[in-house]
Amino acid sequence: MLKLKNILFAAGLVLLFGFYLGRGNKPSSDTPVALVKKIVKDVTYRPASDVSDWDAAKVGLPLNNGGEVKTGTKSLALVLFTDGSGLLKVRENSILHIYGEKKDKKLNKNTFIQKGLVGFDVNKQEEDEEFKFTTPSVVASIRGTNGFIEHNDLDSITTIFIERGDVGFITSNGSEGNVGSRRTARINPNGTFHVDSASVQDTTTFHRTNRTTIKKIKIQTRFGELEIEYEEQENGLLNGRRNREE
Amino acid sequence: MKKFYYAVLFIFISTVSIYSQVSDYISSLRHGDAKEKSPLTITAELVQIEQISAINIAYKIFGENEYRKLEMLITGNSASVTLPQEAVIPPYIDYYLMIDLKDGTTHTYPEGIDQGVSTLQLAVSGVTEKDKEIIVLSPTDGEYLTPENLLISISFVKAPSDVDISKTKIFLNDAEVTSLALFAGELIVLSGESAEGSVPMGSSLLKIEVYDKEGNLYHTISKSFQVVTTEVFAEVSGRWKYFGNFRGESRSESYSSSSTWYNNLSADLNAEYESWNFNGYLYFTSEEKKHLQPYNRYAASIKNGDWLELRVGDTYPRFPNLILDGKRIRGVSGELNFGAFNIQAAYGETVRKIEGQLIRTYQAGEAPLGSNIIAIDEAKYNAPYGQVSLGMYSRNLLAIRPSFGSGENFQWGFTYLHSIDDKESVELGARPQENAVLGTDMKIAFDDQNFVITSQAAVSLHNTDISSGNLTDAQIDSIFGPGGYYDIDPDDVKKIRDIVGKVITVNQYIGPLNPQEFASLAGEAALNMNYLNNALRVSYIYRGNDYFSFGQSFLRTDVKGINVVDRIRMFDNKLFLSVGYENLEDNLQETKIATTKYQTINTSLSFFPRTNFPNVTVGFSRFDNNNDLNLKDTTYQRYVVDDITNRFFVQLSYDFIAGVRHNSSLSFTTQKRDDGSFSAVNSTYNSGTLTLNSYWNKQLSSIFQLIYSSTELERIGRIDDTTTAKKYDYIIEKTVQPYDYVTLTLGCKYKLLEDKLLLSATLSPSFGDFKRQALDFIADYNILANLSLAFQARIYRIPDKATNSIIGLVTRLTF
Repeated sequence: MLKLKNILFAAGLVLLFGFYLGRGNKPSSDTPVALVKKIVKDVTYRPASDVSDWDAAKVGLPLNNGGEVKTGTKSLALVLFTDGSGLLKVRENSILHIYGEKKDKKLNKNTFIQKGLVGFDVNKQEEDEEFKFTTPSVVASIRGTNGFIEHNDLDSITTIFIERGDVGFITSNGSEGNVGSRRTARINPNGTFHVDSASVQDTTTFHRTNRTTIKKIKIQTRFGELEIEYEEQENGLLNGRRNREE
Repeated sequence: MKKFYYAVLFIFISTVSIYSQVSDYISSLRHGDAKEKSPLTITAELVQIEQISAINIAYKIFGENEYRKLEMLITGNSASVTLPQEAVIPPYIDYYLMIDLKDGTTHTYPEGIDQGVSTLQLAVSGVTEKDKEIIVLSPTDGEYLTPENLLISISFVKAPSDVDISKTKIFLNDAEVTSLALFAGELIVLSGESAEGSVPMGSSLLKIEVYDKEGNLYHTISKSFQVVTTEVFAEVSGRWKYFGNFRGESRSESYSSSSTWYNNLSADLNAEYESWNFNGYLYFTSEEKKHLQPYNRYAASIKNGDWLELRVGDTYPRFPNLILDGKRIRGVSGELNFGAFNIQAAYGETVRKIEGQLIRTYQAGEAPLGSNIIAIDEAKYNAPYGQVSLGMYSRNLLAIRPSFGSGENFQWGFTYLHSIDDKESVELGARPQENAVLGTDMKIAFDDQNFVITSQAAVSLHNTDISSGNLTDAQIDSIFGPGGYYDIDPDDVKKIRDIVGKVITVNQYIGPLNPQEFASLAGEAALNMNYLNNALRVSYIYRGNDYFSFGQSFLRTDVKGINVVDRIRMFDNKLFLSVGYENLEDNLQETKIATTKYQTINTSLSFFPRTNFPNVTVGFSRFDNNNDLNLKDTTYQRYVVDDITNRFFVQLSYDFIAGVRHNSSLSFTTQKRDDGSFSAVNSTYNSGTLTLNSYWNKQLSSIFQLIYSSTELERIGRIDDTTTAKKYDYIIEKTVQPYDYVTLTLGCKYKLLEDKLLLSATLSPSFGDFKRQALDFIADYNILANLSLAFQARIYRIPDKATNSIIGLVTRLTF
C-alpha cells in the first residue's frame, strides 16, 4: 500500500511537472495566477518547489505559476485567482501549490493540496476552462461550486465535501466518481472511494472552513498586556486559545 | 457594538434616469442602472395618493407581445417594484404603469396607452462583457476591510488587447492613488502596506478608470467599501449580523383645495447567522381603512441557502406563471428544496372582506332586476330585497407544488391551486366565487444550460356563484335525463358532482361549459438555445378563453401562437442584433365574431463600442392586428380590427469628461398608428429626451433634462352616405387633436456640513399644451451617523387652475 501511495504521489508530481513544462512551451507571461487576499497569523510562501526558503506572505502577494503557500498552526490564508474564478480558504497546517496556464483569455487552474484543509468557492467556469484540485489520491474537476477538500498526509485519505453544485473526480486507480450537494466523497490511497450523505461533522467542518475571522481579547495586567485570540466554535466554546505576554 | 453601529452607513443608490411625463398621479420615475441579468428596481413618485388604490407595472422583454404584471409596493408617496433578473434582458424593456383609483377607474403612465401612446423603453446594457473583462478581485461592493487587510486588486487577465493596463488610474475618495499600486503583468495590486495613511477609516469609494492604447476612456468601475478597526471588523464578521432601519413620515398633501395628512411608519430588519437569513418588514400608514383593501404591510421571512425559505405576512409567491405569479397573499408561503424532491406551498388571504352598504329596501314584487339588488335579511331590514353597494368576500388561496429534480438539468413539477370566497365573511355581498387549477411544468436542460426546454400546462375550473352550494339530487333529476333540459343520465351527473365536488362547488355556474374544446386549458412550451453567439428562443402558447386562475389576475386568455426571438452577439460583443417575430390569434373557441391575428415584428441593434463613443440602441417595431372583417359590411363593421402601428426609437448614452465627469443620454421615439377600424383613431406620437447628469465635485452634482412630447390624435367619423348610389360608401370627417409640450428640468444636489446635510432642489416647468411648474426641495440632515431627518417639499402650480403642494418630514434610524 505504501508503495502504491508513493507511486501515486510521484505520478501526481510528474503530471504537475508536465503541466508546468507545458506552460513553458508558450511565451511566459509574468501575470500572477493568484494573489493572497488575507492572512491570519503564520502564512509563508515560496515562488517554486526548488526554492528552499519560505518567506512571510503579505496581503496582496501575487502568486505565479508554481507558487506555494504554507499555513502554520491556527493560521489562515485566503487566496484569490486572478481571473476572478474563485476563492480558496487555506486552513491551518496546510501546503498548497498553485498552477495556472493562460490560453487566449482563459486561465486553466490547478491547485495541488499537498496536505491540509482548503475551503473553496468557485464560480461557474466558462466552457473549455478548467479548475482542478489535485491531491495525491484524486483529481477533482470543478465547474462552479463550494465546499472543502481535505488531504490527510498521515493516512493519505482525501475528503471532498460539496455544499452546492457537484464535482466530478478521477482517483489514482482511474476510477471515476461524482459528488453532489451536501454529500461527501472519501477517497482512499488505493483509489477506491465512497460517496455518502454529509455527516454532521463534515457540515461543521465546512462552516468552520468559512470562518475567516479570529477574535481577540486584550487584558491589561500588571505584568503587561495579555492578548487572547480565539475562533468561535459552533457550540460557542473557544478554540485556538493563545496567550501572549509582553 | 457601538462602533459597529457607527460603521453602518447609508448607501445611496444612484439613479441613472428621471422620467417626467404628464400625469395627475405620477410625478417622476426613477430606476437604477439596467444591467443584463441584474434585478432592476423602478420607483414612481406619487401625487394625489389619496385617490390611488393600487399600482401595477406592466412590462415585457424584447420580442414578447404579452405584458407581465407585477404589483408595486406603495410606501409613503412612492411606489416601487423590483423586476426579476430574468426580465432584465437586452436590448430593452417595454413598460408602463397601471394606476387603479379608488373610484374604480384605471389610468396608465404614460397616459393613453390604450389609445396608442408609446410605452416607456428602458435600455438594458450588456455591460457584463466589460465587467467580465476587467475584474476587480478586491474589494467587493460593501466589503469591510481593516487597514492591515486592505487590498485593492484589478485583474486584466480577460481584458482585450486594446486595453493599455499601464494607463489605468485608481481613485480613492476622488484622490488618485495610482502611484501607490504595484503593476504585476496583468494584475494591479494596492495593499494596505503601500496605502498606509492614504485610506481613511469609514466609507470609501474606489473608482477605476481603464484606458485603451489610444488614451480613450474604455471603462469605469466603482466599488464602495468600508475601512474599519479590527474590533469593528470582528463584530461585522461575527456569526450574527444584523441591520435595520426605522422610517417615520408625516406629510401634508394639498390638491385642488383639499388637504390630507398622511402618517407612515416603516421598519426593515435583516439578520444573518451563518447561512441563515432573517428578514422583517413593517409598514403602517394612516391610509389603512377598513372599507378598503389593506394598505398596511407586514412580512417576515427565514431563508437558508437555496434549500429553505419560509415567509409569513404579506408574501408574493412565484409558482409557474400560468397559475400563481407574484400575487400578494397575506398568510404563509415557503419552499423546501432537497434537489431530488422539492415542495413549495402558499396559503393565505388574497382579498380582505369589506362589508357592503344597504342603499334602499324593496318589498316582494317591487324589486327591479339589477346586479346590486339582492335578497337581504327580512327580519333585520323589514324587507326581503335591497339595493346595496356590494361588499367583497374575503378570498383565501392555497397553492402547493411538489417537484422532482433540482432544475439544474431536470425538474418536473405539479401545481394545485384552490381559491374560494368565504360566503359568511360579509352579509351584503353577492356571487361568491371559487377557482381550482391543476398544472404541471417541466424543465430539461443539456450542455451546461445552453439547450433548455421548458413547458407548462394547466387546466382551470371556475365557479362564478357558489352561494347556492352544490346541485342537489333533486335539481339534477329535474334538469338531466329524459324530459329534462339535457338528455344525460342523471346518475352520471351525480357521480361527476361527487367527484368534482371534492375540489370545487358544482352547480350551474361552474365553467368551462365546453371543456372538450380545451376552453380552460393553458399551456406553453419554449426551446432556448445558446450557440454560436446566438441566443435563440422559440415558444408556443395556448390559452383557452375560459382559463382563469385567481393567482394570476393579468394573464391574457383566448390566444395561441408562436414567438421566435434571436439575440445575436457580434464583433466581440460590441454589437447586439435582436430580432423577434410573434404571430398570435384569438377566438380559439369561436366565441367571437371573427378571429383576430396579431403579428408583431421587433428589431433592435445595440452598439456598445469600446472606444470613446456613445452606446447606441436603435429599434423598430411593427404591430399588425387584423380580423379580416370588412368595413362595408354594415352588420359587423363595428367589430372590424385593422390597425398597424410602427414604432421607431433611438437611444444614446455617453459618459464623458469635459472639465468634470458627466453622464448623458438622448432618446427619441416616433410612433404612428393607422387604424382602419370603424372608430378609426389614428395617432402619431413623437417624443425626445435629453438628460445630462454632471458631477462637479464631491459635494455638488446637477441634472439637466429636456423632454419634448408631441401627440396627435386623429378621429375619423364614418357616416352612411345615402346621397350616392354606392350605398356602403362613407363620408369621412376628420378631427385632429394635437397635444404638444416641452418639460425642462433643472436640479442640483449639494452636500455641506461635512456631508451631514444634503440639499436637493429641482425645478421643472412645462410649456405648450400642458402647462405646469413643479418645484421639488429636499433637505436631508444626518443628526447622528445612524439618525437622519429629512424635509421634503413639492409644489405644483398649474396656471389658472391650482397650486398643489406636498410637504413632509421624514425621520430615519438605521442600526
